[in-house]
Amino acid sequence: MVDISAESLVATAMFFSSSPEVFFDDLRPAKEWKQAFVDTEKHYTHCCRSLASATTISQLESKKWIVNELQNLNLEPKVVGLLGGWYSNFLTPLLLEKMKVNFIWNFEIDRDAKDISYKFNKRYKDQEKYQCHITDIMFKEIWRKEEKYGAFDVLINTSCEHMFPMRRFRELNTELSGNPIYVLQSTNEDEYDDHINCVNGPEELAEQAELTDIMYSGTKILDSGMKRFMVIGK
Amino acid sequence: MNNILCMKWGDKYDDSYVEKLKEQCEANCSVPFKFWCFTDKPEKDWHIPIPTILDKFYDKDRGFFWAYRKCYMFRPDLINGDGKSFPDNSKFLFLDLDVIIHQDLKYFFDLPNDKPWIVRGWWNDIHTVKQNYAKHKSTPLNSSVIVWKKGQMMPVWDHVLKHPEVVFFTSPSLDNYLAHHWYDPWKEDDGFLQGFPQGDIYSWYKGNVFPHDMEKKKIREDHKICLFNNSTQTEGVNTDEIKELW
Repeated sequence: MVDISAESLVATAMFFSSSPEVFFDDLRPAKEWKQAFVDTEKHYTHCCRSLASATTISQLESKKWIVNELQNLNLEPKVVGLLGGWYSNFLTPLLLEKMKVNFIWNFEIDRDAKDISYKFNKRYKDQEKYQCHITDIMFKEIWRKEEKYGAFDVLINTSCEHMFPMRRFRELNTELSGNPIYVLQSTNEDEYDDHINCVNGPEELAEQAELTDIMYSGTKILDSGMKRFMVIGK
Repeated sequence: MNNILCMKWGDKYDDSYVEKLKEQCEANCSVPFKFWCFTDKPEKDWHIPIPTILDKFYDKDRGFFWAYRKCYMFRPDLINGDGKSFPDNSKFLFLDLDVIIHQDLKYFFDLPNDKPWIVRGWWNDIHTVKQNYAKHKSTPLNSSVIVWKKGQMMPVWDHVLKHPEVVFFTSPSLDNYLAHHWYDPWKEDDGFLQGFPQGDIYSWYKGNVFPHDMEKKKIREDHKICLFNNSTQTEGVNTDEIKELW
């Protein structure tokens, strides 16, 4: 018996029902998700709580927000990098299925998150559409990864509040061959001690990353009540 | 040449801590050694002035618990209290001021020195360590006791010096920094640092080995050193509880 929170169950149901064209006739994703929950409970017990935190209505809202705005901008990225993408259970399928992205890199520091992300995204890993690489993006450059699957079109960081300002990442990666679009999310919610870099709004988020060409800037109150900011730009 | 180092700055600990540590070392080390104290108030010939070049990167308002000045010990060009460089064959044993030494410190100088040694807090649940890794919490390492040979910690010093702004912004403590960049909780034998084995060092406030030997405030004289540091206390505040056990 797998102990999944009601919130995660609802978020999972919403996720699958939001993409019927993808999941209606193919039961593999549902089976992989089921197995991912079972395996996490059995072999990664210490990750159950964080998996529940990653599988909420708010998490789904914020990831769908990205896809919606990228589509509104008529962007069609082929290679996407997730900076601290965690389990990437929502975002990777949304980008691959809804936006027809060719390949997704997830740059993570947590080895358990890597393993679990492979369980949720097994089919994409098997198809060589998804790969997770263990690294600290604020200390090591990622631009050399372009050699394998091509230049990054979009770089997404949905957890800027947990990291040093994004200007540092850009300084480390001046040799990126393309001119990637950055999608950045953060919050002003500073009551959590791991929120080491909260911002007051999307303007400050863009400023931290030294974005000059702002294509989208917005604020959303998530289901949890958290205020979330997002900027898209170069 | 064996060297025992300690460090004192500010008012958290009074001078009696340094004197008591020196006394404990002299009573519990059967091999020759020199005792040195890095201090912001150098007065004696075994005192070494603490450099201040990293001070500007420490933001006390962040509420972090950064014993960042310990990093100075890792400089390969470390100068001793005589104003001379330490000889190339120097070995260093760093001890926090709030420790109780139970056994012969010769043990630490005799350890194989293929890698530097640091306290692996065996009282930590490794699953909690992994669970909180990305949050920079629940570090498995404790820098209260470190052993290295001259030059061996140079990569750590160079790394801090190269990235001070990010290091100080991101890591809540020196222990946390070391655990993230120089140790791997998933591959504990593969890190740059290696942990002292179980049975060497325990914590007065946290216990010994998770989960079976976690009794707090218990003296274990069959171990080598007892630590008193307590990351849950306010920075700069010390309870002096150790003085009752000296």
